[in-house]
Amino acid sequence: MSTIKKIVLAEDNSVLSLLLKFRLEKEGYKLFMALDGKQAIELIEEHNPELILTDIMMPFVSGLEVISHVRNKLNMQTPIIVFSSSGQEEIVLKAFDLGANDFMSKPFSPHELVIRIKRLLI
Amino acid sequence: MNDNLHIFESLKHYPLTIQFVWGLSCVFFIFIVLLTIYLKYLRNHLRVNEKIEAKYQEVYESHLVTYLYAGNDDKVFSPEQQVIINELKKDVADPFKRKIIISTLLKLRSEISGEIGESIDKLFIKLGLLRYSLAKLRNKKWDVIATGIRELTQFKIKAVHKMVLNNINHPKREVRKEMQLYLVHLYGFNGLEFLNVLETPLSEWDQIQLLEILQLNNDTHVADIKPWLNSSNDSIVIFALKLAKVYNQLEAKEELITLLNHKSEDVRINVISALSHLHLFEAKTILKNNFSERSEEEQIAFLKMMENVYEASDKPFLLEHVHHKNSEIRLSIMEILKNINFEEYTLDEADIKKMLTA
Repeated sequence: MSTIKKIVLAEDNSVLSLLLKFRLEKEGYKLFMALDGKQAIELIEEHNPELILTDIMMPFVSGLEVISHVRNKLNMQTPIIVFSSSGQEEIVLKAFDLGANDFMSKPFSPHELVIRIKRLLI
Repeated sequence: MNDNLHIFESLKHYPLTIQFVWGLSCVFFIFIVLLTIYLKYLRNHLRVNEKIEAKYQEVYESHLVTYLYAGNDDKVFSPEQQVIINELKKDVADPFKRKIIISTLLKLRSEISGEIGESIDKLFIKLGLLRYSLAKLRNKKWDVIATGIRELTQFKIKAVHKMVLNNINHPKREVRKEMQLYLVHLYGFNGLEFLNVLETPLSEWDQIQLLEILQLNNDTHVADIKPWLNSSNDSIVIFALKLAKVYNQLEAKEELITLLNHKSEDVRINVISALSHLHLFEAKTILKNNFSERSEEEQIAFLKMMENVYEASDKPFLLEHVHHKNSEIRLSIMEILKNINFEEYTLDEADIKKMLTA
């Protein structure tokens, strides 16, 4: 059985996605990247990841809808980290109400993100 | 051909108005055909440009991420990084490619902090892009100047603040706003020194943005707000009052009380709110003594303050104004009286109705 942990990353900023992919693959994780919430849901259903990283504001399907789908439709308890921007504090609270486990406010340090991921995947 | 000649010949027999309308229709038809051709060309041109831009962006994103992870712990650039820098430097000279490089750097810089963020700042300087941003500051177009300042802010270029400061009283609000954000982003409270020389008004939105950046910066060294409380620019005084509230500037007590007699009503209302927030209740006596001379807005602000600091000794003052002509004031006074809960102050329902409808 493979021990490589799978992560779905939903982020519409292509260069940030690429940077996080490099960093997390270096740490030994397998990354599945989605440019919007719709793609993220498809990847989650297909790969059943150990962790989900999602931006809040995304085209078509937002991060909140992704969290709601994972918790209420798929009934999965996969840890979810939410990326938010300044001024989105209330949306972050909604994300926690829907079942998010942690959040990181942009701009964030990829190094800190790795620490939080490791903590959640122990 | 003969048919066409026949049409022209027959047109000659029509009245002049009909000939004119036909002529105009032909001109419009030709104009629409030419315009359609031009729009089609323009659309194709833009699509091609978009494709080229997307292609370059992908290349630059890949270069940027490789550069960021090719660094070593030393301060100097690694050989792999140097190769990427040389590649990108070649493209910087081309304005189209330079624009894409800058937007790629900005796209990541606005989302990332820490060492990687600093590494992007270093790359911006190493590629010689700073020269182009500074050139934008000398441009005649206000939007180009604003873009230049925004780039300096996002790449945290501190050394050029004197050049940026030249735009302190720029006629365009957008340029002034970018300059203010640059200073506060990079220098925290020290950056607020521009308030000493600002002559133009600081809008409510600008004030909110500045406060938000200050709070994000977590700068613990709060500036002395006293000089701004004495500013001749009313918007600066109001901004300083907001700072006094957010950062509990009790040291400025005397200046705040003096501002109760400021010439601007807006300032006076904000001072009452700040004094209430800071629990500086010495102001209560002053405001009680000249309550009738103040505007209704000030009176309402003062009564809001009194809701938190009422005492039994305020009863005569409150009763004196309980029949005020403004219903909001009457309601506030009755609210305070109810809270004081005077044993002897009993109003039956009929009295209350009478006062509210008076």
